[in-house]
Amino acid sequence: MTTVNDDATSSDWDGRYYHVDQVLNTPGPRTEDSFQAGDAVKDFLRNQCKILVIGAGGLGCEILANLALTGFKDIHVIDMDTIDISNLNRQFLFRPKDVGNPKALVAAEFIMQRVPGVKVTPYFGKIQDKDEDYYLQFNIIVCGLDSVEARRWINATLVNMVDEENPESLKPLIDGGTEGFKGQARVILPTISSCYECSLDMLNKPTAFPICTIANTPRLPEHCIEWASVLEWPRVHGEKKLDTDDPEHIGWLYNTALTRAKEFKIEGVTWSLTQGVVKNIIPAIASTNAIIAASCCNEAFKIATSSAAFLNNYFMLIGTEGVYSYTFEHEKRKECPVCGGESLDITISKEWTVERLIEMLVEKQDIQIKKPSLSSGIKQIYFQAPPQLEQATRPNLEKKVSELVEDGGEVTVTSSTLPFNLSLRIKYT
Amino acid sequence: MSQSGSQTIEQATTAIQVDAQPDNKTRRYDRQLRLWAASGQAALESSRILVISATATSTSILKNLVLPGIGHFTILDPKNVSAADAGNNFFLNGYSSIGKSRAEEAVPLLKELNDSVDGEAVVKRVEDLLKTDDGKQWIKNFTLVIAHNLPNGPLETLSDLLWEELEDPPLMIVRSAGFLADFYIQFREQCIIESHTETAPSIRLTKPFPALQEWADNLDYSKVDPTEHAHIPFAIILIKEADQWRAEHNGALPNTYEEKAQFKKRIRERVVKIDEENFEEAETQAVRLWSEKGVPSDIEELFSLEPLTSSSSKQTLNPEFHALLKTLHAFVNSPEGPGNLPMSSTLPDMKTDTESYVKLQRMYKAQSAIEATQFKELLASKYPQLTIDEDMVDSFIKHAHQIKVLRGKKYGALEADKDAISAALQAWPSDTATTHFALNALSILLEKNSDPTTITAETLKSEVENFVGQGVDIPEDLDNAVGELARSPTADLPNTAAFLGGMIAQEAIKMITKQYVPVNGWCVVDLIESKTGIVNN
Repeated sequence: MTTVNDDATSSDWDGRYYHVDQVLNTPGPRTEDSFQAGDAVKDFLRNQCKILVIGAGGLGCEILANLALTGFKDIHVIDMDTIDISNLNRQFLFRPKDVGNPKALVAAEFIMQRVPGVKVTPYFGKIQDKDEDYYLQFNIIVCGLDSVEARRWINATLVNMVDEENPESLKPLIDGGTEGFKGQARVILPTISSCYECSLDMLNKPTAFPICTIANTPRLPEHCIEWASVLEWPRVHGEKKLDTDDPEHIGWLYNTALTRAKEFKIEGVTWSLTQGVVKNIIPAIASTNAIIAASCCNEAFKIATSSAAFLNNYFMLIGTEGVYSYTFEHEKRKECPVCGGESLDITISKEWTVERLIEMLVEKQDIQIKKPSLSSGIKQIYFQAPPQLEQATRPNLEKKVSELVEDGGEVTVTSSTLPFNLSLRIKYT
Repeated sequence: MSQSGSQTIEQATTAIQVDAQPDNKTRRYDRQLRLWAASGQAALESSRILVISATATSTSILKNLVLPGIGHFTILDPKNVSAADAGNNFFLNGYSSIGKSRAEEAVPLLKELNDSVDGEAVVKRVEDLLKTDDGKQWIKNFTLVIAHNLPNGPLETLSDLLWEELEDPPLMIVRSAGFLADFYIQFREQCIIESHTETAPSIRLTKPFPALQEWADNLDYSKVDPTEHAHIPFAIILIKEADQWRAEHNGALPNTYEEKAQFKKRIRERVVKIDEENFEEAETQAVRLWSEKGVPSDIEELFSLEPLTSSSSKQTLNPEFHALLKTLHAFVNSPEGPGNLPMSSTLPDMKTDTESYVKLQRMYKAQSAIEATQFKELLASKYPQLTIDEDMVDSFIKHAHQIKVLRGKKYGALEADKDAISAALQAWPSDTATTHFALNALSILLEKNSDPTTITAETLKSEVENFVGQGVDIPEDLDNAVGELARSPTADLPNTAAFLGGMIAQEAIKMITKQYVPVNGWCVVDLIESKTGIVNN
């Protein structure tokens, strides 16, 4: 049951916003002239501003609570996940009884119960289900996601949405992320400041183990676990998909990995490690999420109210050794496939096959496109889908790129998972 | 065939699977156990935390400590919920909490975050507790005390109380107003075994132990087949190459840039076919030869550190850790020892075949066991009367390369030292110290007169000038800080509260688990500039 406690204004008891009003009634020494102190700014924040929160997990729960307390009253939240027991050490809007229920729904309900007069509209599903019209209705979008893919999608969508004729089409995007005692918060003004795609190379490189190591020369327990999940699972179970949330599946992987480890006299395969490797688990704690979510919401508050200048544009925190933080302006990348417009120059060997080029596109830190499709002008080089086109272009995989594209020629790379085109200018050594 | 094969595996290992599957508690805490493991979790679970006041900041801090599972918390707060509290504090029941005890309203809403945590509300004034011996003892019995925006008078009394004995609990002082805040941990000494720093332990390439040396000596490049050649572990390649270099250079390792380049070139020349990743790895790992020290300099410095001893009771603080540290010093100086820190049994991955890697790993393990035994014998002979938990000794040996000792100062040490004040004001960026001193001034003024309308930029500024004293240049940034504090002298903003809630909880977790490295000095938070800074004292 979704209920809103009272009408949004009547629940504002006298003194409710005593704390927040101190910074809304008066400008500070660094506040810009555009700040409309007093009733105007309060009216916008509390009665007009519509804000979207993407993710109702570790960051999302914190973001929702902070936004509600600072006076945002029309909040929307999207999350496609259901609650797992391992969320309860930090996702503080959820209780053991909620396990299995959709995060977005439970979180929205909790906030509305606890903070009267705030309306939280949940959507249990994927961000990709929504179109530009949906995203256009919001003033600000705050992201608390754990997926690089989802961040790239929303980032590209918001950049594409910008229409120079219509200033309302530019939606500030605030993005947070954490890992253990570390985290970052950033403000992206699509097309104006550096975007998420511009900084892809700052991501930690995912640990990938070469297939030949996994298959032939395992040394670490991780190699045995990868063998079980990447090679043995499909071999033994055929089409049946591995579900990393299913304890029976994890159990099978654990036992299979353990048996292989024993065979090779490798120590250290545990249930916890198995789960960590196959699910790519990132350690997460409430306190770091609190810091980063607070930082994101503080920026949202500053953008919505102009009560202080907002972050330009990156805040990075490392809490492992003392408290170290670094606030800086991340620069736009001219050849960013999302907001840059210039093509990316790459130099490859004349001997490289199309397949080798694709491999590079998947791996290269600043590109990382899973399943790329390639074309040059009107020429189709390789397409991942539909199946007929894939089949028709498959023979090209073994051809040399230099047979298909002239020196200095352009190749357009697309991916079904990302709403953008990357253009490469190919040169040969 | 494959189906039946897998079933055999399953049948054979069903028993293991049942045992290995984690229980509900482990599943609940999975994402944090990956950071501080069972030992850190046990420390959290036995901790008892006192939080003074149930402000939005205080409940945010507690939320982040209840969720990971501290043992117990007490909120000490004599106040009732105001309309303002009901608006900015997530751990109150909104409008319906107004007029009720703030501590009693907050405790159940915090406790429901985690059934295994015990919580209590104490509706008393800290000033009153500080007047009686029972009250003082009650405060001292906590593991950690946290105070948010406590007026300066009682804060100083509390700080004095918790600085009486060496083993008194650490005190975390948190102050905030509007977008600005700072915090400080008053503690005597923090001894950290698992600091989780990224420094890798030495793998003894410059001083190989006998089994390792033997492997390198017996390796004859001319006699290995191409497959084997591509699987020689980089450690062996480097030891062999280093031996040859030393033989040609009067026992010295490459030192200059040119020599290092020359050394790497020699490794490259050993490659017999393309894609020998082990030789590529040897080249990149060659840096270990000239950077690995027997004893890293920060550990060396700890050897001269004398334990803190109470003048009255002659008791030593952290006696086990210091016994281990003295033993470590003796171990590295021992003529029978390796002249290094004891070997850590963790070996990095190397591009090699399974057999070689497992062989190498076993060698390191065996050597590490030998040295652990030597260490323990030394410990027993030096400290026959001391019993130290075996796990602690093993952990100390394993993490000897990353141990840390922090010595703290009493709250107010910075302000009592004119030179320190002057140094802080000259440090870059200059607004860190000015914000801190402006918060000092705010706290002093609010204690004199609790009416926030008396707070102006001018009164704050003159208060700062007053205690900074004559002849010290105060950077212009002070105007920003005092202006901001005058704008919102008593605002406990939800975002600032949440930010501090996370920061203080991180530090509290580090103090309690004795893992990771807490901050030593004042940490200053400016949420207008979205940054933090440290004022050393």
